[in-house]
Amino acid sequence: MAERKYDWGEIARNSKYLQLKSKKRTFLFGWWIASSIYYFSLPLLSGYVPDLFKIKIIGVINFGYLFILSQFVMSFFVAIYYTKVANSEFDRLTDELVSEIQ
Amino acid sequence: MFTKALSATMLMLFLTMPGLAAEPPKQAPQSATTAAAPVQSQAVPAAQAAPAAKAAVPAAPALQEKVRPNRSITITMFMAIIGITLCVVIWAAKQTKSAADFYTAGGGITGLQNGWAIAGDYMSAASFLGMSGLISLYGIDGFMYAVGPMFSFIAILLVVAEPCRNAGKYTLGDILSFRASAKPVRAVAALSTVTVSLFYLIAQMVGAGKLMQVLLDIPYRFSVIGVGVLMVGYVVFGGMKATTWVQIIKAGLLMSGTVLLALLVMFKAGLNPFGFFSDIVNNQLIQDHVRMNVLKDALPKPGVDYGQRFLEPGLFLKNPLDQISLGIAWALGAAGLPHILMRFFTVPNAKEARKSIVIALFINGTFFFLINLIGFGAALYLTPQLISSVDKGGNMATLLLAQKLGGGAGSIGGDMFLAFICAVAFATILAVVSGLVLAASAAIAHDVYVNIIKDGKADQHLQVKVARITSLCVGIAAIIMGLMAEKENVVALVALAFAVAASGNFPAVILSLFWRRFNTAGIISALLVGTITALGLVVVSPVMTYPQKIADDAGKIIVTLEKKQAEGAVLADKELTALDKSRKDFAKNNGGTSMVGLKAPLFPLKNPGIVSVPLGFLAAIFGCLLFRDRRAEEMFDEIEVRQITGIGIAKATDH
Repeated sequence: MAERKYDWGEIARNSKYLQLKSKKRTFLFGWWIASSIYYFSLPLLSGYVPDLFKIKIIGVINFGYLFILSQFVMSFFVAIYYTKVANSEFDRLTDELVSEIQ
Repeated sequence: MFTKALSATMLMLFLTMPGLAAEPPKQAPQSATTAAAPVQSQAVPAAQAAPAAKAAVPAAPALQEKVRPNRSITITMFMAIIGITLCVVIWAAKQTKSAADFYTAGGGITGLQNGWAIAGDYMSAASFLGMSGLISLYGIDGFMYAVGPMFSFIAILLVVAEPCRNAGKYTLGDILSFRASAKPVRAVAALSTVTVSLFYLIAQMVGAGKLMQVLLDIPYRFSVIGVGVLMVGYVVFGGMKATTWVQIIKAGLLMSGTVLLALLVMFKAGLNPFGFFSDIVNNQLIQDHVRMNVLKDALPKPGVDYGQRFLEPGLFLKNPLDQISLGIAWALGAAGLPHILMRFFTVPNAKEARKSIVIALFINGTFFFLINLIGFGAALYLTPQLISSVDKGGNMATLLLAQKLGGGAGSIGGDMFLAFICAVAFATILAVVSGLVLAASAAIAHDVYVNIIKDGKADQHLQVKVARITSLCVGIAAIIMGLMAEKENVVALVALAFAVAASGNFPAVILSLFWRRFNTAGIISALLVGTITALGLVVVSPVMTYPQKIADDAGKIIVTLEKKQAEGAVLADKELTALDKSRKDFAKNNGGTSMVGLKAPLFPLKNPGIVSVPLGFLAAIFGCLLFRDRRAEEMFDEIEVRQITGIGIAKATDH
């Protein structure tokens, strides 16, 4: 395997790299934590505040059912939003960095 | 009858989900089949007699004790699936030449294909059969259960998939050994991969055996051997390429079956979801089921709307701590499952890895959403009484619903649709087990043989040969263990697989990728402590089988029925059978202990995640702080740059 040798330390100090890294970190961990909080609110609320889940919203459909549905919507949203940001911003920054190094 | 019910309960085994099968807490002990029967026979005429019964109330169900498929149609469908997949294997075998081909299909799978394959790897027969059953018996709690498996993709998507694709090659061991001492880390990683995969694999095998037994009257051992031989064939000859395509075909079939069933349910409900749910709430039989079988209220309590109660939490999931623990296993476990991790390496770059996870998430999300319609549809159109008379755990709900919506038992449409859904469940098991065999054998062949024993010096020909031999051995081991585990509570094994993945693999992977000071000591302590704690807690948890509890439950039935007899009542045939069965159960189980010699569980939760995951992380952190490794810290720049940018890996498929 003819692999190019890179000076990893030098890339790690590159300003474009640092920018990409901090953007990715903030975005990925931020959304991961935020979505996890939303996710864990489901067992927490249903376990400790069950009455909240019983409030009827539309006909017999209650808050609980809609809240579970919203978990699906949340996951789909995070996935779509992440793809959008990754495809445009992260990939662009990565390409710029790679072309600068080579 | 009891054996049938018990064996059907065992179907839950092939849950890819921990604890799903965990017997419905307290109110439905396994012996409830017998206990519930008299209650139902009273309930049903009462419902019929009620003049107020609305049009929405279906005729009292003719209770049946098993699913009755048309054997010849079903076997034809099975054969068709086996035939198609074998063609794929033959085609794939011709293209599998290098080790990269074998483990990762040469990195030549597109994001779209890989997305379907991941979805195929992940959606088990358990989610397909078990979850709809849970919803049909316990309402909204079952639906709540469906959120975890979908959410588990978020961690994979955001923090694991792309970095792993950028930093690794074939296995978990590749990522972990990047900047640590290769040999011990690979050894421990291989051990953990094999542990997780085998537990998971055995659960699937036992599930397959039980399913075939219930559906087609094929003896358990023949079904296990049959499934085992097929999966070994797929993996040994076709490697990752065949496995991927088997998974894609399976995911396609599963989704078509699910969409079709959900559409039929919605058409039957007049495409009106609000009407659909009010029919459920107003359904007399569902109300009776919630009141008598779930909440055990002999007489209606004033002010309780038992129909609405079906749409409220707390019928199945009782302990919030247990739910949170399970939630942790979901949220982190999937990102540490070796057979899922391995799928990131089948695509050429991080962008395709990202795309495949997003696609998998959408397929899974849609699937779990539709399962909710199927489950509620089953409750409304079949009634919970009928579903639980066939199987206590509700595992047969989807199958029965297919038969009913296809035109009913005995009609061509009903039998065809039932056969199709059975075949889909079968394909599901085949696909999942193949992926697992591949992950386990890759860990042994690539990490242990090639990198530890041969120091990475093995030519392509030899590597592929070793990988094939290992797959064969793993497959044979899985068959033997599947045969031995027939009577085990395999749910525990699945819980174990997820818990080990979340407590050992996940901390090790994520800290390797993101923490500068992480090193060999950290990896080894995370994997050992996480694995051992998870393992230890599961074997003393309530998911294991406790014979004393079975004996106690049987004892209660004996006392009730004998008292009835003593009062001069003549017992019905059903009750006599129940009494006889309970006496045998009592004699067999009284004074018995669980596998580790316990009469009752020591640890209260079904899932150890809430304890073992933090311990895994703590062990990882303490491990590295105790034994600092400068080299690992110096090499962090490299793994970090690689995982963030993909530099240096884009063309690194082995040549």
